[in-house]
Amino acid sequence: MTTDDEMLEAAFAQARTPDMMPSEALLNRIMMDADSVSAVAPVAKRPKQKLGAMILDAIGGWTAFGGLATATVAGLWIGVAPPAALTDLSAGLWGTTIEVPLLESDMFAGLEG
Amino acid sequence: MTKMAPVQSDADLLAAFASGDRSAALTLTQRLTPRLMGQAYRMLGNRAEAEDVTQDAMMRLWKIAPDWDADRALVTTWLYRVVANLCTDRLRKSGRGVALDAIEEPADDAKSAADNMQDTARSTALHDALADLPERQAQAVALRHLEELGNPEIATIMDTNVRTVESLIARGKRALIAKLSGRKKELGYDDDNR
Repeated sequence: MTTDDEMLEAAFAQARTPDMMPSEALLNRIMMDADSVSAVAPVAKRPKQKLGAMILDAIGGWTAFGGLATATVAGLWIGVAPPAALTDLSAGLWGTTIEVPLLESDMFAGLEG
Repeated sequence: MTKMAPVQSDADLLAAFASGDRSAALTLTQRLTPRLMGQAYRMLGNRAEAEDVTQDAMMRLWKIAPDWDADRALVTTWLYRVVANLCTDRLRKSGRGVALDAIEEPADDAKSAADNMQDTARSTALHDALADLPERQAQAVALRHLEELGNPEIATIMDTNVRTVESLIARGKRALIAKLSGRKKELGYDDDNR
């Protein structure tokens, strides 16, 4: 007489079939799925970045940003008040200098009513 | 003497696939699908359904590839869980009710037709009984007695602790016995110790 435990163990033993080789058709379907996923996301997803961080990355990080800011301020200052040596140099290169008044009051004269 | 290339881990291959390496996907498919097919077949007793589950599980793997965290789990552990979930989902939705002729119990030529029929009836009875169990009991019993995994590994797969696994298995087995013992004679378990 088979006990309940023996009966259950016999049922499990019969169901413990070995692993199965997949059919060629199944392998093809699985690879088609892989291709469809690759087509949507061909490269590894990167962590999401905010726009500011992306721009900072593009110019080379905070160190580069510091240098860029310094250069911008220096350039602006040179444009507004060029040292005499620079005026002489540009005159020497181009033969003449053109001065554009940026801050003189007559610049705005035409805008006043 | 040629030097053999080191075997790449599943996680490395998955990362390679996420970077666009198709051959990595092919290697993973060839490496993983026999076991996935086996697990699904052992739980469902039907080859066509086992193929569907295997394809579904692999699709989930492809989709998760870019976000895969190798430190969190083994690919095989994750797949055990996915296949177990997909199978119990199918068992529950079908209310089992898979027709006897849909069960493809491999016929053993060395056995008589009557023995093969009895094997099929026993297989159907077990899968029907598994389908009636609560989902987590069915998963724990299948991982222990069909996949023959240890309780600590089952606990990892099911994201719980060993004591809970032991309890799920014990209750699941009691319920299976209650369902099958009434059919002992019909299934031929009274005749022998097979």
